[in-house]
Amino acid sequence: MSKYLLTVLRILIAVFFIIPVYWTFVIATGSRGAAYSLPPVFLPAFHFHAMWVVLTQTRWFRYLFNSVLITSITILSVLVSSIAAGYALAEVRVPGKNLIFYLMLGVMMLPGQALLIPQYVVMFHLHLLNSYAGLILPFTASTSGIFLFRQYFMKLPKSYREVSRVENVNTWTYIRRVAVPLAKPAVATVTLLTFISTWNQFQWPLIMTDTTNLDPIELALTHYMQTYQANWRELTSASLLALLPIIIVFLFTQKHIVAAVAGGEQGGKD
Amino acid sequence: MATVIESTKPAFRIPWETFLGFGLLLPSMLVFLVFYYAPAVFLAYISFFHWNIFASQSIFVGLSNFQILFKQPLFWQSLLNSLYYAAVMVPASTMISLGIALLLREGIRFKRGAIVRSMVFLPHVTPIVATSIIWIWLFDPQFGLLNAILGFFHLPQPGWLASTHWAMPAVMIYSLWHSIGLYTVLFLGALTTLPRSVLEAAQVDGAKKWYLFKRIILPLVSPVTFFVIVLATIDSLQSFSQIYTLTGGPHGGAGGPAFSTTTDSILIYETAFIYQHFSLASAMSLMLFLLILLLTLAQKWIADRFVFYR
Repeated sequence: MSKYLLTVLRILIAVFFIIPVYWTFVIATGSRGAAYSLPPVFLPAFHFHAMWVVLTQTRWFRYLFNSVLITSITILSVLVSSIAAGYALAEVRVPGKNLIFYLMLGVMMLPGQALLIPQYVVMFHLHLLNSYAGLILPFTASTSGIFLFRQYFMKLPKSYREVSRVENVNTWTYIRRVAVPLAKPAVATVTLLTFISTWNQFQWPLIMTDTTNLDPIELALTHYMQTYQANWRELTSASLLALLPIIIVFLFTQKHIVAAVAGGEQGGKD
Repeated sequence: MATVIESTKPAFRIPWETFLGFGLLLPSMLVFLVFYYAPAVFLAYISFFHWNIFASQSIFVGLSNFQILFKQPLFWQSLLNSLYYAAVMVPASTMISLGIALLLREGIRFKRGAIVRSMVFLPHVTPIVATSIIWIWLFDPQFGLLNAILGFFHLPQPGWLASTHWAMPAVMIYSLWHSIGLYTVLFLGALTTLPRSVLEAAQVDGAKKWYLFKRIILPLVSPVTFFVIVLATIDSLQSFSQIYTLTGGPHGGAGGPAFSTTTDSILIYETAFIYQHFSLASAMSLMLFLLILLLTLAQKWIADRFVFYR
């Protein structure tokens, strides 16, 4: 008896967490006025007209372009900077390494909300407001990325480095041909986490831009909220389109993402 | 082999390595210093000046920004709202996620458990504005799914985001939906690594389920519990995007109705970027900074006494 009760409880929990995403689909592809029907319609009608309107009659592809541009450059930069710094912390003898280590840890301790005002002032003086650079540069380094790569590089056998030193392989080639290929799980983890956090960014572009030309999708959605007011089909179609990349990536990499978020070090297990 | 090479060129090996090391660390350190540490130092500076971003001069005004701030009833209300939000969010998200983790623990080795875990976790990776949109509709007093369900069971149907009493709980429900997946996964990680021998020994000794939970599971997961509490505290005091979107930010009035959801981060945003009072906003930011620091230190102090580290 109680076993069935627990199963029912598990199903209810799963339903609670999944229903808003399902509901977005129901409203977005419902027939005209279905959002306002009482009692609610529980099944999608697969009308994709509203989505077509969003794709063709708005600047959707401009926003998509912004999101893709910002996300891909951020991911690449985070990978490069994290690999470099992770390698330096793991393999290179640098004076004051402990101090640097704590400085990097400290970044994670700074409360982001409290820093926004001075960050805005800094961006203003660097002439980075309203620019792609302003949306990308502050996120091109990642403490967790650095620590993850450091951990992977420290696990590499010392003999690899020694052999390549004997063979006169320079550091750049060693990192590119030996260290990074052996740290592939870390590359995957950092890519996934950076993708999610950058794609979902909202407050930073909200504050740092005042032209819609630079808006990533997540910020553009607030413009759709203004324009579409009560047109729930168009509005939810837009949010469904914004959700889609995240959901697709999640479906294919869920195990890895869960492990990566739960603890960077566990990300490399599969 | 390596020692031979070291002895052949000892003169410039170390400087070169130092050079290489700093070169590799430079990109990250530059980003951290320019975009995070410099603003942190700058924050304290602006708070004591009458500051105008567009004029180059700034006048030292000492504590007067804080004096103005403390006389604003809205500042105190935003602080209360933030504390109300955190006071519900931290215990609720900790307990619910521990509960779900316990519920999913047995099933996790089978495929079905892993599917439920993924479903619970999915909201955490979704973009906040995109999912807030559907929640606004779910919360709709007249046509929303939530009130339809409540009506079906003949329960009272609150006005949710339109009501001063229910707007904050509505935001909390959204935030719980969005954040619990992360904490659940953290707890699950701790629960799956519990030492089997201890649990089995307790069962052999005839320990009741509640006793098992209270005396064995709870102490063993307490480091994760502490981590979750710290994370949830910091996170809830800094919530912005969902409050902004759910309470009408896109329409120009975040924090409503009647300031009932104006938390510290919303007030800082509006003071700075809508009313252009940068000095006042940075004074508030400094208060928030200190509040978070203080709470984290207090939690550390408590944890040192109650957390059981294996």
